[in-house]
Amino acid sequence: MISPLALARRAAPMFACIGLLAVWQIASLALKNDSFPTAIEAIRAIPDILGDKESLINILASLRRMAIGFGIAVLVSIPLGLLMGRSRAVAAFFNPLLMVIYPVPKAALMPIIMLWLGVGDITKTLVIFLGVSLPVIYHSFEGAKAVEEKMLWSGAAMGLSLLQRLIRIVLPAALPEILTGCRTGLVLALITMITSEMIARQSGAGNILFNALDMGQYDTVYAMIIIVGAMGICLDAIFERVRARLVRWSEPQFDMPLSFS
Amino acid sequence: MKVVPSRSSEWVRPVTPKKPASAIIEIDGVSQVFQTSARKDHLALSDISLTIEEGAFVSILGPSGCGKSTLLYIVGGFVSPTSGAAKMKGQAITGPGPDRGPVFQEFALFPWKTVLGNVMYGPRQQGVRAAEAEAQSRALIEMVGLKGYENFYPKELSGGMKQRVALARTLAYHPEVLLMDEPFGALDAHTRTRLQNDLLNIWERDRKTVLFVTHSVDEAVFLSDKVVMMSKSPGRIREVIDIDLPRPRRRNELLLDPRYQKYVVDIERMFDEVDETGSVS
Repeated sequence: MISPLALARRAAPMFACIGLLAVWQIASLALKNDSFPTAIEAIRAIPDILGDKESLINILASLRRMAIGFGIAVLVSIPLGLLMGRSRAVAAFFNPLLMVIYPVPKAALMPIIMLWLGVGDITKTLVIFLGVSLPVIYHSFEGAKAVEEKMLWSGAAMGLSLLQRLIRIVLPAALPEILTGCRTGLVLALITMITSEMIARQSGAGNILFNALDMGQYDTVYAMIIIVGAMGICLDAIFERVRARLVRWSEPQFDMPLSFS
Repeated sequence: MKVVPSRSSEWVRPVTPKKPASAIIEIDGVSQVFQTSARKDHLALSDISLTIEEGAFVSILGPSGCGKSTLLYIVGGFVSPTSGAAKMKGQAITGPGPDRGPVFQEFALFPWKTVLGNVMYGPRQQGVRAAEAEAQSRALIEMVGLKGYENFYPKELSGGMKQRVALARTLAYHPEVLLMDEPFGALDAHTRTRLQNDLLNIWERDRKTVLFVTHSVDEAVFLSDKVVMMSKSPGRIREVIDIDLPRPRRRNELLLDPRYQKYVVDIERMFDEVDETGSVS
């Protein structure tokens, strides 16, 4: 039983997209500027890009770097964040370090990294890694810090060792917070991916975008923006699905607790 | 730690003749100092000595800030005393262990586990096979009155139900001593009464040693064999009162019993005396 209101709510994002495209179309027609193609022209260019083998290889290479950078970042940052959250000594050591790195745009580090590691995959993956790490560390840290002491005591009384408590109590208890960090990290991975390809232009989605700009193929530029944006929206939606499933137990529910003692 | 299925077997606890009760927990000259600020120390517990006999239900009663929970945490091994020592069956307590099972006011359930998952956690940790642990846990869930709620998550339960789960979860790994830290303190009066009754019923089946922290006089008298009255600043044992009331205890009979009423009145007066030094509440 879907009420009209619920239906409208579900269709709302679609309406927003159509509205945005309509405004774009009208604005472009009104301005008549060569560097501002209409929405329809941009959308028409999408199949050309996705149909081109080389473009596809480029986009897949971007996604691969992003996946590797994101994956390694998550694997390193979650344990680090959890350890920081549960050990004052570890937090005291890493906190100042992270505070220095935090406000520095990761792309600004690229020149140095390029000098050391070249302009290849390693550099770009490293930048993505740095971009993803900080929010994941921060949220894992906050999540671990907030774990109820008594919950850990209960585990200790059952015979869980310190390491077991970290993996089997702190990790699941902090999971909602950790996944919030990962979601932010995923968006940052996409941003740093494109940025890194803008700076070290060799391959990737960002490279296609900027090559098209250089050559004055504005419909391709806009088409690439749509593609990258759509990738972001899809990845976020998939991640959100997984996240909601993993932390179903913690989501607030609207039905009241049972009135029974 | 081997899993003891039940301590209610005849040869463990002979009905007659009554053998002299042996000490299970010995607290010897325990003091606890907390550093409240850089220069100030707070003496939470001062030279506490107490012996708890096996199978006894002992309440620690006192105003807030008298260190009664801290004393429980020391027995649990969660907190190390600044000086003195606590022993369990003659062995110095150096940390938490499955022989002492805590039940906290905050419930401290694992929110990512269902009711069944929470109760099975202890037995599984101790290597009990899944099928066996599940059967035992289901029986315990039924015993605490939550049959039908096995697959609910803690967030779906009321406070009283959560505390029932917490009790079942602790009983599931068969601790020799139950350490209850104001377990009903966060519940409304009616729920509290029901849980007290149910706790007594459960306890009367196998008479595990219970150390029960509370600031409610009638709760302490209703449940306990012995009430340890504490005073605050610093936390000291003011008096140990034996509660000589017959068991099994029924609330409706007990409330009319003049002996019960006298215990409550006497201990309440004592409570007022020890609390007078503190702030007006």
